[in-house]
Amino acid sequence: MTITIALPSKGRMKDDASAIFERAGLKIVAVGNDRSYRGRVEGADDVEIAFLSASEISRELGNGSIDFGVTGEDLVREGLANADARVEFCARLGFGHADVVVAVPEVWYDVDTMADLGDVAADFRARHGRRLAIATKYWRLTQNHFSGSHGIQLYRIVESLGATEGAPASGSADIIVDITSTGSTLKANHLKILTDGVILRSEACLVRARKAAHDGDPVVARIIAAIRGVV
Amino acid sequence: MALINLPAFADALLADFESLGTLRVDTPVIQPAEPFLAMAGEDLRRRIFMTESETGESLCLRPEFTIPVCLRHIEAVTGTPKRYAYLGEVFRQRREGGNEFYQAGIEDLGDTDTATADARAVSDAMRIVANRLPGRPLAVTLGDQAVFEAVVGACGLPAGWQKRLIHAFGDQKHLQKLLTELAHPRTVGVFGPEVVRLSMDGLLEDEDRLVAHVAATMEATGYSTNASRSPEDIARRLKEKMELANTRLDRKTLDHVAAFLALDVPLADAPAALFAFAQKSGLKLDDALTRFDARVAALAKTGADIGAIRYRSAFGRPLDYYTGLVFEVELAGTHAVLAGGGRFDRLLTLLGAREHIPAVGFSLWLDRIEKAIASEGGAQ
Repeated sequence: MTITIALPSKGRMKDDASAIFERAGLKIVAVGNDRSYRGRVEGADDVEIAFLSASEISRELGNGSIDFGVTGEDLVREGLANADARVEFCARLGFGHADVVVAVPEVWYDVDTMADLGDVAADFRARHGRRLAIATKYWRLTQNHFSGSHGIQLYRIVESLGATEGAPASGSADIIVDITSTGSTLKANHLKILTDGVILRSEACLVRARKAAHDGDPVVARIIAAIRGVV
Repeated sequence: MALINLPAFADALLADFESLGTLRVDTPVIQPAEPFLAMAGEDLRRRIFMTESETGESLCLRPEFTIPVCLRHIEAVTGTPKRYAYLGEVFRQRREGGNEFYQAGIEDLGDTDTATADARAVSDAMRIVANRLPGRPLAVTLGDQAVFEAVVGACGLPAGWQKRLIHAFGDQKHLQKLLTELAHPRTVGVFGPEVVRLSMDGLLEDEDRLVAHVAATMEATGYSTNASRSPEDIARRLKEKMELANTRLDRKTLDHVAAFLALDVPLADAPAALFAFAQKSGLKLDDALTRFDARVAALAKTGADIGAIRYRSAFGRPLDYYTGLVFEVELAGTHAVLAGGGRFDRLLTLLGAREHIPAVGFSLWLDRIEKAIASEGGAQ
């Protein structure tokens, strides 16, 4: 059986992933020219490399159309319901760090925890005639964190596909759920992270689609062992 | 494959509705999504079927009837109490069963005699289920948010804590977590460094200065003072939060709340049990208990089988428009809810009604009732 590994198709993520694979003894060579979207692993004819965008990788892992993928944990957990039942996080790769966080305006001096936010959300409608609005592209992670972990039901998600951190100042939402790596963008927009507002500490991971055919497959076991050996 | 045609007993059900003196209404299947999401919260989004109009308006397939029926009542501005009955298909993703199924129910809007209206809702639901399943014993669970609110109020907690607890009512896990926090207050009251600075500047003692400071900070940082929370909101809740942080629920009060939440008795015994609880704890619950007793008395008058009803003090729904009665009807010995309802006096105001319109109602899960009928056939 040929094992397909999907790697990010461009940027830092692509370079960092290739470097780790090379250190693990799985040197990746592009098929055809440098910009090709297919590749292979030197000396391993039973492994195929597909270069995809990070969010495609999470989707294809869910479909099971690839065997392994390197992508951010945030994208996998956001993209797939019951992620842990459908994929296995085999190794954390030490790059692509980003936290998914709940951030509120700094000037909300009374709000530092999710419990505070719960209080604010509870009578938001009575005071403002609408629900507390959260700008985010992370629907699933937000719902799990708010309703699942903190019993907060009364809010609305406002979809935001870019410049989420500007939403509270522009008035299109009250608070945000977004990724941050250094926190500087949040600070520049006068937002603060709640003390228990880190939903996920994400980084790039080697992720395996759970497939019955993988059981006892020496190639699958070898890839996992090789990557784990260098991270 | 789930059955998607009308249940065989639809005609008998409609006859029941008519004999109960209700007005049959229907609503469009395609509804604006906004009111459902605004009332039930974001969790609903994953479970409803949404689409968009050409102009970008969010639409959904009707996930339930209560909100459309209430909206219709508000639009009609009749001002007179009305009892509406509905029967039709609803669309929702469920863990079990199909995504489209029939639901029926009664919404009783505008009757100010709440004890009688509550009793009528419970007894109508029981009667309709019993008519479909003759000879099968029912088990009804009844709860009352208003009694819990009275207990919390009588404990002498600050308003902020009362709100937190009341908001969590019906969500057992969350409520337990809050009570633990109340008993061990080291986990509550996290204040940022900014608050320490405000305190050193003496702003926390002077609400007017605090409001002015918040407003000035908002302006300096490019935040509007009226698009979201206002400086007054923030100052007021900061004060409330300081009270929250300084509150510790003493052992005795905590035991009272725990003892209350553990009540699970036949409804007929509930007035005496609640009275005994009030006496023992010394909490003043007179108003709430008077209303509770009036409902039990009204229920007895309807001729409903009171013996089938249990009162469970912790039973509630964690949605902010439920205000009093909640109940569920099951077949004894099963856990499939065949009918469920409650009082939602805040919903119509939230939906835009100008005046207060009391409301109570219930819905019937027709596919589950159908299954229960079939299981009876199978057993024979």
